Amino acid sequence: MFHRDPTLPVSRRDALARIGAGFGTLGLAALAAEPALAADAGLAAGGAGSPLAVRAPHFAPKAKRVIQLFMPGGPSQVDTFDYKPDIAAYAGQRPAEVDRKSLRNTKNGLFPSPYKFKQYGQCGKWVSDIFPHVAECVDDICFIHSMHTDIPEHAGAILMANIGHLQPTRPSMGAWLVYGLGTENQNLPGFVAMSPRAQPRGGLSNWGNSFLPGAYAGCYANIAKMKPESVMRDLTNGFVVADSQRAQIELLGRLNRLHADRQQHDASLEARIAAMEMAFRMQMSVPEAFDISGETKATLDLYGEGEYAKGCLLARRLIERGVRVVQLSLSIDGYDIAWDTGHNEIEKGHAKLAQACDQGIAGLLTDLKRLGLLDETLVVWGGEFGRAPTSEGAKGRDHDHYGYTTWLAGAGVKGGMSYGATDRFGLAAVENRTHVHDLHATILHLMGLDHEKLTYRYSGRDFRLTDVHGHVIHDILA
Amino acid sequence: MLRLRLHDLRTMIAGLAICAALPGWLLADEMTPEQAEFFESQVRPLLAEHCYKCHSAKAKVLQGGLRLDSRQAALAGGDSGQAIVPGKPEASNLIQAIRWQTSEMPPTGKLSANQVAVLVKWVELGAPWPGEADEQPIAAGKTYDWPALRKAHWAWQPIADPALPAVRDRAWPKHEIDYFVLARLEAAGLSPNRPAEPRVLLRRLCIDLTGLPPTPEEADRFERAVARDRDAAVTQLVDRLLASPAYGERWGRHWLDVARYSDGHGSFLDSAALPNAWRYRDWVVAALNHDLPYDEFVRRQVAGDLLGNEHSVATGFLALGPTYISDGGDLEAISQAKSETLDDRVDTLTRGLLALTVACARCHDHRFDPYPQVDYYSLAGVFNNTTVDEMPLAPPEIVKAYNETKKQIDKLEKERKAIKFRARNAANRKLTADEQRRMKELTAEIDQLKSKAPDKYPFVHTLADRGSEDMHVAIRGNLQRPGPVAPRRFLHIIAGDDPPPFTRGSGRLDLADALVSPQNPLTARVMVNRVWQQYFGTGLVRTASNFGTLGEKPSHPELLDWLAARFRGTSAGDYGWSLKQLHRAIVLSATYQMSSAADERALAVDGDNRLLWRMSPRRLDVEAWRDALLKATGELDPALGGPSISDIGGSRRRTLYAAVSRNGDEFSSDTFLRLFDFPVPRATSEGRAASIVPQQSLFMMNSSFMAARAKALSTRLASEASDQPARIRRAYLLLYGRPATAEELELGLAFLDSPPADDDRLSVWEQYAQVLLSASELMYLE
Repeated sequence: MFHRDPTLPVSRRDALARIGAGFGTLGLAALAAEPALAADAGLAAGGAGSPLAVRAPHFAPKAKRVIQLFMPGGPSQVDTFDYKPDIAAYAGQRPAEVDRKSLRNTKNGLFPSPYKFKQYGQCGKWVSDIFPHVAECVDDICFIHSMHTDIPEHAGAILMANIGHLQPTRPSMGAWLVYGLGTENQNLPGFVAMSPRAQPRGGLSNWGNSFLPGAYAGCYANIAKMKPESVMRDLTNGFVVADSQRAQIELLGRLNRLHADRQQHDASLEARIAAMEMAFRMQMSVPEAFDISGETKATLDLYGEGEYAKGCLLARRLIERGVRVVQLSLSIDGYDIAWDTGHNEIEKGHAKLAQACDQGIAGLLTDLKRLGLLDETLVVWGGEFGRAPTSEGAKGRDHDHYGYTTWLAGAGVKGGMSYGATDRFGLAAVENRTHVHDLHATILHLMGLDHEKLTYRYSGRDFRLTDVHGHVIHDILA
Repeated sequence: MLRLRLHDLRTMIAGLAICAALPGWLLADEMTPEQAEFFESQVRPLLAEHCYKCHSAKAKVLQGGLRLDSRQAALAGGDSGQAIVPGKPEASNLIQAIRWQTSEMPPTGKLSANQVAVLVKWVELGAPWPGEADEQPIAAGKTYDWPALRKAHWAWQPIADPALPAVRDRAWPKHEIDYFVLARLEAAGLSPNRPAEPRVLLRRLCIDLTGLPPTPEEADRFERAVARDRDAAVTQLVDRLLASPAYGERWGRHWLDVARYSDGHGSFLDSAALPNAWRYRDWVVAALNHDLPYDEFVRRQVAGDLLGNEHSVATGFLALGPTYISDGGDLEAISQAKSETLDDRVDTLTRGLLALTVACARCHDHRFDPYPQVDYYSLAGVFNNTTVDEMPLAPPEIVKAYNETKKQIDKLEKERKAIKFRARNAANRKLTADEQRRMKELTAEIDQLKSKAPDKYPFVHTLADRGSEDMHVAIRGNLQRPGPVAPRRFLHIIAGDDPPPFTRGSGRLDLADALVSPQNPLTARVMVNRVWQQYFGTGLVRTASNFGTLGEKPSHPELLDWLAARFRGTSAGDYGWSLKQLHRAIVLSATYQMSSAADERALAVDGDNRLLWRMSPRRLDVEAWRDALLKATGELDPALGGPSISDIGGSRRRTLYAAVSRNGDEFSSDTFLRLFDFPVPRATSEGRAASIVPQQSLFMMNSSFMAARAKALSTRLASEASDQPARIRRAYLLLYGRPATAEELELGLAFLDSPPADDDRLSVWEQYAQVLLSASELMYLE
């Protein structure tokens, strides 16, 4: 049984129930209004019994929500944000710093970036000309140039980036965050993973719950073919009209109530009645959140054309409505490790990929800032590793897990900052080396969670996102 | 990775240097006063401030097994090996760690360059440490007092055979089990609930034993039989249910949870399809239906291939687990993949069969339980000598024909690939005319071979021995950092202070025997507890896969031992490892047959029902719920066994036969099952969750599956009863096994009275049927 604190204000539903209106009426009433109201109704429905109810963080958070702009395949740091003019001076040579084992043959030596770099912003950050829009946002961005990870292979490293482990046997970061914090809008999933056409390699494991309860699994949407009403399975009813369904739901509510009353003291039956009401509302709240047709032309222009840009706009709409974690992975041409086109030929491949996401990402940062949401939203950009400054073949670059760049923007991080460094050619992190576990620890910290305390007892021990590793990078915290 | 290999080399060299240089070490009496002063003023304070919190005798939890509060301890080192190599800072783990190279110490923040320089200089000087002359290396690793440990925790102790406790209410017990339960209830001032109503008991028994609800006709018969003689009626029913093939389907599925059964498809790193996995599933079902004694059930699953070809299929228990690969050939990744695969085998075996979390000892000695790291590698070594194989179920000539065609195709495809590769490597040149012609030929030939190639013959996924070598302990779980040899043998905590080494092949047969040896108290206890858990919602030990010190203690330890003693005992009255006899004992007890009605006072004293004053109400698992729907609508296809069904939603077979992928994203069945808490089959599962999320409700409200069931139920009702009230009454009997109440009848009639909307594609009756099928009552068991 739910024991309600009598001092709490009664919810709209309770009030309506007292004057004899069914909850179905309420669900529609709540949703007919603005998203904020729908979120409010969702909040009211997420009682203490819900696994997704909002939970207090360990300490005051800087960020309430995370948008992870995941770049599978390994974007090259020296062709994007880690400017290394020294490469040109040693073109074709293999100085000691870069004479390290790699997955493929890189005997050809250093290969200068085919792109031009310019300085941007107050901070004077050097950015390559394939990211002209993001470049305009550098004063809001904290670049971590000293990232490193365990292995130079996509599948394992992608899992490391998203779940903190090389094999798919652990919960994803998003699942951990929702487990730790719950979510603000009970009418929407707490964790949404999206990508156009192809899922990042490893698929579901990247947003899965693994051994955490199923309620914490990310909900995946393919935004290329997505229609707002089919983003979630069985979101719409193809069999009866809304009025008929309302009658069905009200009868079901009555019968379930009779059953729950007979089986006294069974909280799960009460929770099931609440879940049914929530589902009824989700039929409208979910398509509404994913429907961008009401956005102004100015907003659409800000994000620009393309599938990833649309994903960026959806990310804003979702976090605006209280979704806790959004993971938006890049893919073009249906490739599950988009940035891996860098093997054969950096120049065209990377330019095309950057173009596919540059304006959308910058639009997202600008829009969040404009709406006052960037102060409470953490945006994380990066792949599973980078690419080596030496060439593979003549024009390509091989994987580089020794050093690469990830950037953060928004809540709680210093803007206009470059943290850590690779060697003078950009191969390996040498200064303030930052492992993926450190990044995860820092993200959790910004969300108000101590990565050593956010644990789940499973199989005889307390598991953490960061396993037995991870240090919060205090130097980048605002 | 080069870095790691270099590191290993350094460690080796360092080791040699120590052996050779031992007499020449800088001892305290050779130390200059300047050196002593340097240590006291600069080195010791540094160590004390930054290291001792975790690496000294004062540490609350000693980290990495390393102490740095004496020279001797620092030389002895910890889990990562020797911490300092005097005179050789580059070879010293301590220096590498404070440079944040191999690990990152201190974890709270890097030391300053000056501080690092101080420690480097100190090691260069030979690590002088004033006041210490004793250079005897201390013993590495923890020591375990095995006899004392075995006495210290209930689970390590031998199975007792306790006498029945005295009870005041001598009339209530129907079975020995009831004495143990009643004694605790009486001690707590509680009394057991009344017996469940016959209809409730019938539904409970049918679903618990076979996963299928009774028909209304069975209910009538049972009620009449109970009126004559309740105990006789129940016994007869139980015997009938245990003899039904549906029993094996129901309890086989429970076992498949433990076995983390899947049809493969674990995504990128363990992507293999396991097209014949279902043969293992069918073996499990048949073994349970034949009541194969549990000891033999276990032995065959661990070493069936070594017991005879006909038993190979049973090794699917381990052979169907994830076999991880690397994604590119990186050494570190290859080693990680192998390490994770071995972990799967050890974890499934030890948690699944023994409820021991031995896999926690993969990187270090278990923190809380007496499972030293070497024990983990003793077991991992068995699987390191075991491979996953296919055993054909076809005559040799068919296998040969298939393999030869395949070989030919592979050869031609290889050639085709080579031509393409040559052209691409030469700066993407176009194919020459000759090459183009050859490509055409090859393609034609391949197509032709493929068109007449036979389908792959049937086979079973099996384990096979491939060697007989001990593994090394992997330092920090890293297989590239071998430590001491771990002889293949059973766990110390069970098998004795000096467990005999496994000698036959990989050691799997020895392992199988050790698992069911009378010396091992866990196998029987763990299975008794798993069976109990399915009936009561929780086990006597609530942590069904962890009987270690961090697990929960049994609520009724004597009952657990009494049942375990009967289960594996071979004397008169014992069950001789018969699961059916164990089931019979439990369900014939008064404890099992109690009502689940709530009781204010008992709820206040024991809200969790640990003392078993009632039967705990339970939610059906997804299999029983879906099967119950299909049975109520009259659609269920009761056929036994066969290949897995990728779209179970479109099938009328039992849910057991749904194809399940390890990653949960291969089959449409996966999505359906996961919606209702089907466990992720990547690791052994100790029980189902019962989460309640709105997506489940969306499925009830909107899925075509539910609409189809609603139509079927409506059709059935129309054919079985003539007027509306009769149909409603029939529906309640079919779905919930009880008559409708007056209020329910009234609500139903009111709903059916209103006309459908013009655009509805379901009739009012179908809409009503969908509501009844979606109701909580169908999904819960009293």
